Amino acid sequence: MEIIGWGLVALVIGIPLLGVTLYNRLVNLRNQVRNAWRQIDVQLKRRHDLIPNLVETVKDYMSYEQETLEKVVQARNQAVGARNPEEAIAAEGILGAALGKLFALMEAYPDLKANESVARLMEELSATENKISFSRQFYNDSVMTLNNGIQVFPSNIVAGMFGFHEATYFEVPEAEAGAPKVDIR
Amino acid sequence: MASSIPKSCPECGTANRAHAHACRQCGAPLIANWQDKPLLRNKVLRRTDFMAAARANQKATRRLVIILMLTLVILGYLLGWSVQAMSGNFPEGAEDIWFASRWGVQAALVLLVVGVIWSWISFKKGDRIVLRMTGAREVTPDEEPQLHNVVEEMAIAAGIRKPRVYVIGTDALNAFATGMHPARSSIGVTRGLLDTLNREELQGVIGHEMGHIVNWDIRYATAVGVIVGLIALISDGALRSLRYSGRSRSSNSRGGGGALVIVLFLLLFAALAPIFSRLVQMAVQRQREFLADATSVRLTRHPEGLISALEKLALNARPFKGANQATQHMFIVNPFRNFSEKANRLFATHPPLERRMARLRNLGDDG
Repeated sequence: MEIIGWGLVALVIGIPLLGVTLYNRLVNLRNQVRNAWRQIDVQLKRRHDLIPNLVETVKDYMSYEQETLEKVVQARNQAVGARNPEEAIAAEGILGAALGKLFALMEAYPDLKANESVARLMEELSATENKISFSRQFYNDSVMTLNNGIQVFPSNIVAGMFGFHEATYFEVPEAEAGAPKVDIR
Repeated sequence: MASSIPKSCPECGTANRAHAHACRQCGAPLIANWQDKPLLRNKVLRRTDFMAAARANQKATRRLVIILMLTLVILGYLLGWSVQAMSGNFPEGAEDIWFASRWGVQAALVLLVVGVIWSWISFKKGDRIVLRMTGAREVTPDEEPQLHNVVEEMAIAAGIRKPRVYVIGTDALNAFATGMHPARSSIGVTRGLLDTLNREELQGVIGHEMGHIVNWDIRYATAVGVIVGLIALISDGALRSLRYSGRSRSSNSRGGGGALVIVLFLLLFAALAPIFSRLVQMAVQRQREFLADATSVRLTRHPEGLISALEKLALNARPFKGANQATQHMFIVNPFRNFSEKANRLFATHPPLERRMARLRNLGDDG
């Protein structure tokens, strides 16, 4: 009889404790997803800030490529002016593609690449491109962990009780998926 | 009917058990036509997926750390037991020398508590001292824009705060990470590494160091080091004191011959435990290196960068002065050894580079 009594006590203490642990874990994961989403925003903003500088620096060298430069500026302004996430994702996709084309064209100008301030800007921009894709990767990883937590037993019970919702993955926009990879040595 | 002849791995040459499906060192499949057999395919693929690699690794190190703790507890118990037997404090109704020793339990508990407190103190003080020992200098984003960018990229991929960035002024190729918490950590690379590697390779190396940070390896290494140090200290003390007290006191204990048996036990254990715990420590260390490599791939999604970086490190093997016995485990490759050296493998802090590359190639194949 005594064993049953102790077993009941263990259950009464253990189950709420487990519930609290699972709940806290889910809250942490949800916050991580939200924070990761903001990280992407930070990096996109940085890209917007860098582009006018880049265009200003290279436009004298690349007088024959005015059209490409204009496209980049246009795409950038559209991305800055985006009012909702759907618009932003689409505009960022176009901007990414335009930038990719510009980077590819710049390969053809040796004296441009030799210029130190251009090299510095290029490093900044390609680092920003990397940071954007790494922050997306971290966002998607976080979404996966959160969704796993919401789907697997027993935390799915806690998730159902407190209304945790699965987050959506950040899909790479079509236009950007085909963009050439930039790598400066 | 499987033969009992050990199989050597075609990728790295390690001897494996006859019925093994995959190499225990590099994970390469050992059975021909494994793609055609669905059960085997699942097994092999599980070993080449980097998330699974990380999980398996965490499990392996946890087991090793438990073994270390058990060694410490057994040592404590033996010590308390033999002291109790020698001083003649037998519990009520003990028939002979084989009793459950209360002193032994107490000594084991004391050792555990001492271990925890000592580890805690090392956590608080560790990284500042280490940074000073390596002679690393902190650099600003203006001095090293690319290095700073790469570190920040990897910090974003790992989802932690950007570590502080250090450079060691030496031609040797190496990198290290330190810091007891992911929010307050540092990464350092040598000047030679910056000059030799391209951006992608540097990213792989920084990813490896970031792996040590997010896997709490520095804390792991410190705690394990403390336990191993404690075992060595206690064993040494036991051996020394037994040499003296053994002669004078054993005569007045009750079960004369029995007490001697316990003391012999302790003697044997105290002689072997330090060597054994050292072996376990190095095994933990090597597991963490593999884990950090896998984490680097998780962060960069680009195993080729780290592979070609390790190739360059292997070609430019050259020791440097900033490292010593206390800091050697922090670096991406061991700063003392010739990296392909096969002798003394059990006591090495790092797995041979060929093996790390073989495992990384495996991770890459899976896509």
